[in-house]
Amino acid sequence: MLPLLDDAYSLAKWLSQNPTDAEDIVQDAALRALQALSGVSVDRPKPWFLAIVRNAAMTFMARNRRKTVSYAGDMADLDALDLRQGDDRAPDPEQELIAYEDGERLRQAIAGLPSPFLETLVMRDINGLSYREIAEATESPVGTVMSRLARARSAVAKAMKTNP
Amino acid sequence: MTDPSSDDRILKLNAAVDGELDAAHWLELEREMRDDPALAAQYRLIASTREAIHRHAPREAAPRALVERIAALAEPAKVRRPFWTGARTLALAASIAAVAFAAGVSLMALRTPGASDAAAQRLVADFARAEIAGQPFDVASSDRHTVKPWLAAHATISAEIADLAQEGFTLEGGRIAIVDRVPAPTLVYRKREHLIAVTELPATMAGSRGAGAIETVDGFHVARWSDANLSYVAVSDIDENELAAFAEAFRAAQKPAGESPAR
Repeated sequence: MLPLLDDAYSLAKWLSQNPTDAEDIVQDAALRALQALSGVSVDRPKPWFLAIVRNAAMTFMARNRRKTVSYAGDMADLDALDLRQGDDRAPDPEQELIAYEDGERLRQAIAGLPSPFLETLVMRDINGLSYREIAEATESPVGTVMSRLARARSAVAKAMKTNP
Repeated sequence: MTDPSSDDRILKLNAAVDGELDAAHWLELEREMRDDPALAAQYRLIASTREAIHRHAPREAAPRALVERIAALAEPAKVRRPFWTGARTLALAASIAAVAFAAGVSLMALRTPGASDAAAQRLVADFARAEIAGQPFDVASSDRHTVKPWLAAHATISAEIADLAQEGFTLEGGRIAIVDRVPAPTLVYRKREHLIAVTELPATMAGSRGAGAIETVDGFHVARWSDANLSYVAVSDIDENELAAFAEAFRAAQKPAGESPAR
């Protein structure tokens, strides 16, 4: 479990958006994992443990009212989103490069994603899970994972494009 | 988005960027992109978004204190059997025996490889990591009465804290090291720009008194010694003679105190 703590902490921090909460979440997840581990072997520890972290984060957020984890309400916003990044004209690569230099804005754009999209993006791009592993960890079909990921990236790209 | 098939194409582009597309689909997509510059542009945009996320939102290292808390949770649990304390004590005793043996005899050729080396190696790695991370202690205080209770709350043995300010070694704080699955109190002293980390481990071997020679592990100096109650491992980047002087001063400061450590 120890080698997975960086991944666990990163995921928890993105989901809670608070470093102290993230520590509590990871510690709670570690306890749950240790309890679950007695007597069973886990084939793929990473998605397994990150699923526990994700669930611990949801419990934590619900209990501490840090942020509304409202899946149903949030979904609508991004479902309405045009999946294509940018307009119909071919994007100007130069302009993209400049916008993507703004790390703070990019991180804010990620942080602003509704939870299901945020967790999918973080599990893929930060934790490096495969689609199947994300599906397993979030208990969603692969198609949903793909759709959320595409929408999350599209939303981030849009946020980077909009003039502040 | 009016064309419903277009949504699927975007999903496919993302899958391509993520390396989740098999060769047949890749081939198909390459053809499509060749015929449709807008699609190719979409692909580049998704790839650059992903790249920017990687660059600006990298995976973060879990805070050291968290890792150690969890290590402390996890390790006893792993060896937990009806006699888990026994198992832990045995492992510890083995390592202490090796440390004490090495300190007493101080002959490289005779030193048992294994537990003692692993402990020193572990403490050196700990020291290097703390230095690099710029976070050499979990509790920062030059006040023994602040550091001691903090360490006591986090470790199973109570730390002996020597006041060495007069000798030029100022107490900077404390942290917990995990040695052989046991959280061990570690004191951090400073001399000029150098830090010295002293980790205290329970000693169970009699006759292991006497200053150990200074060893070099991965470029750091390591001094080990023990008294009736505890074994000490000091790791530092300070030079050999100064570390020996530190060990000497620490031992000397312990003697009159006569405070027996609680278990």
